[in-house]
Amino acid sequence: MSTADLLRRQLRDFAAAAVIAVLFASCAFVAGRNSDLAEHQLGLASRSVDQLIAGGEALPTVTGALVAPATPSVAHPYLRHRQLRTPSGWRDLQPSEKWMYDAVTRFDREGAFTELVPDGTGRAIAVRAAEETTAIAITSPTTPAPYPFLVMIGVLGLGLALTAAGSLVGGRAANLGALAGIAALAVPTALWHAWIATTAIALVAAGVTLAQHARLTDRLSDGLVRHRTALGFLMPAMIAMFVLVAAPFLIGIVLGFYDHSHNTWTFVGLANFGEILSGGGKQLDDPLNFWFILGVTVLWTLANVILHVTIGVALALVLSRTWLRGKGIFRMLLILPWAIPNYITALMWHGMFQGEYGAMNSILHHAGLSGVSWFSSWATAFSANVITNTWLGFPFMMVVALGALESIPKELYEAASVDGASAWQRFRHITLPHLRPALGPAVALGSIWTFNMFNVIYLVSGGAPGGSTNILVTDAFHWAFERGERYGMAAAEATIIFLILLLWTVFGNRVVKSKDADA
Amino acid sequence: MAMNRKPRLAFLIAAHVLLIVVVAVVLYPVMLVCKKAFEPGRDFALSASPIPTDVTLDHFHDLFDKRGGHGELLFLRHAFNSIIVALATTVFGVAISCTAAYALSRFRFPGRKAGLTTFLVVQMFPATLLLLPLYVILNKIGLLNSITGLVLVYSTTAIPFCVWTLKGYFDSLPRELEEAARIDGASTWMIFRRIMLPLARPGLAVTALFSFMTAWNEFIMADTFMTDESKYTLPVLINSSVGAFSADYGLFAAGAVITSVPVMIAFYVLQKYLVGGLTAGAVKG
Repeated sequence: MSTADLLRRQLRDFAAAAVIAVLFASCAFVAGRNSDLAEHQLGLASRSVDQLIAGGEALPTVTGALVAPATPSVAHPYLRHRQLRTPSGWRDLQPSEKWMYDAVTRFDREGAFTELVPDGTGRAIAVRAAEETTAIAITSPTTPAPYPFLVMIGVLGLGLALTAAGSLVGGRAANLGALAGIAALAVPTALWHAWIATTAIALVAAGVTLAQHARLTDRLSDGLVRHRTALGFLMPAMIAMFVLVAAPFLIGIVLGFYDHSHNTWTFVGLANFGEILSGGGKQLDDPLNFWFILGVTVLWTLANVILHVTIGVALALVLSRTWLRGKGIFRMLLILPWAIPNYITALMWHGMFQGEYGAMNSILHHAGLSGVSWFSSWATAFSANVITNTWLGFPFMMVVALGALESIPKELYEAASVDGASAWQRFRHITLPHLRPALGPAVALGSIWTFNMFNVIYLVSGGAPGGSTNILVTDAFHWAFERGERYGMAAAEATIIFLILLLWTVFGNRVVKSKDADA
Repeated sequence: MAMNRKPRLAFLIAAHVLLIVVVAVVLYPVMLVCKKAFEPGRDFALSASPIPTDVTLDHFHDLFDKRGGHGELLFLRHAFNSIIVALATTVFGVAISCTAAYALSRFRFPGRKAGLTTFLVVQMFPATLLLLPLYVILNKIGLLNSITGLVLVYSTTAIPFCVWTLKGYFDSLPRELEEAARIDGASTWMIFRRIMLPLARPGLAVTALFSFMTAWNEFIMADTFMTDESKYTLPVLINSSVGAFSADYGLFAAGAVITSVPVMIAFYVLQKYLVGGLTAGAVKG
């Protein structure tokens, strides 16, 4: 390899590694800068309060005061006054000092606190009890340090120089130069004490060197050049999928390791998964126990898929008869439930199952039966959901089965009849084998849809009674939005649902494939 | 039960009766909703009969005349939101997907199979699994309760769907034209832009209509992400009309009829493509 080629290769690899390294360093800088700033501001507020309590003044850039306990106003006893101590004695709070009044009121309710003011100005506030009064201090607004462009350009230049120098020397020095050049980018992160980013950049440097050694970077770059048209065409969708699907998906997994309460996230490791999988200390027949919900979900999926396939195939068998009159009209009317938006179907059936005046109970009355309070027992609420979803879902299976049946060559049946095969034998040996390849994927797809049929459960029974007819997806939704914003639990449950679906897809594929092998 | 032979009369009658019964079961709830839309009163089906006793347009009138906090006409507002969200999702989804669908159909490159599987799996798995992270992210970047945010959320399902259906359509187009154009010295982009895209117009139209319908019919994301009444879409409005505290089934039925009739017509026009697309994707993947 000539020196020019070597130089070009080394610079190419350095550039690729530098993009990643700068990304890491920038993230580390922003995170470190924000936490340093917060720590500094909180420290200022806290020390100022200490000094106020000790009888001194707040620190220079900090506004601090001692506020007296609230006293009822003389004119309007339901209003309360507070007074502020100044060097010359007590005075009333000004309207512009309402924040002090609010902070002390909160202190009376919740006790001492030190925190950042959540208004984006970077101010920190500290409130603590002083002798007979309350000490309060707030720092001045502050802006974070600017991005260190000069430092970054400097290290990039240094890395570039190291890489180039190594390549010009050639041989082993080329690899060493690139290694040192990329590693140089870890210097600023090390100075910021951002150890994760430093390690990551060091790993990138080592990885690039190893990859160069195995000629991986050459092959990657060749591949990218050779398939650059395909890459260009794929790029928009790839970027969109990464930003809109992959990133939220990964963030969702990460959120499962955090607990969310009062707008703060705390890392809790596997605690959410533990709480879900252990049933949260509830009995197995408790509607909030994960295993109970999983059982309901599996039962729900099984019941629906079996009903969909049975009804769908039965109707398709009837519809595929050539002697049937009005076939087109029947088919058109039978797929009506598929055409209706499913939230409307769910709301409509919810209305029909409504206790006192619903259509279902009217029909029962007409039939001489007594009405049922559909949503007050598990069995009837679950049945209401299943009835709705069966009504909604059978047309899909019917259409798939009808398509498969119509593709069976008529000669097969004629030949079988000539050979004296019975109706059952013709069904068993001709119809069924032709249905299976079309129904297999449809059942796989249908089972995934049913497993996650959010709208029907959420809008028909809403989990009633007592959450016992919830399935996993609606339960996760309840964790997020109806049980005190337990986002971590919801995220963990979504991850578990994903794993179950993944297992099911892989397992289902195996079954379908082995069946195909038999046929 | 050979297909061409005429069966016994009893069997023939039984088959027709069975179909008529199922059709009745299918039609009954729909007729109840239509009845409710034109019948006075807020309650749903005091009688089991699907024939209205009295006809009125009051519910439609109420629906159009429902006003929000600033006196704006809510139904028109929500219909407008729905149209904008569904249109934007469709345009964004098809525009982003068409080049990728073409590449997956025509080019051979390492990772193609993995890419196809990814799009298929993402399309199969429910978007509700992403609801929470999307909520947290949109909240963080201030796109909660905004049309833009909802369009981005809908794109998570629209893009993989469009890639798969369009790829299937490109697969069905002949390759001869492209080869001829290539011999004449056309670049890949020219071929795509000037030949394939115009040829794929029917496929693009069908894909676009389906993504439009999906976005138009989506309920739970819109219900969760849109907190401000003026930002609701039609499904949220329809659901809120039968809320726990004031259920007005007349309003619901009127809204349901107006909202679903257009998509139902579209569905009937397009249904033959839908079945083909769904199973073709699943079988080939």
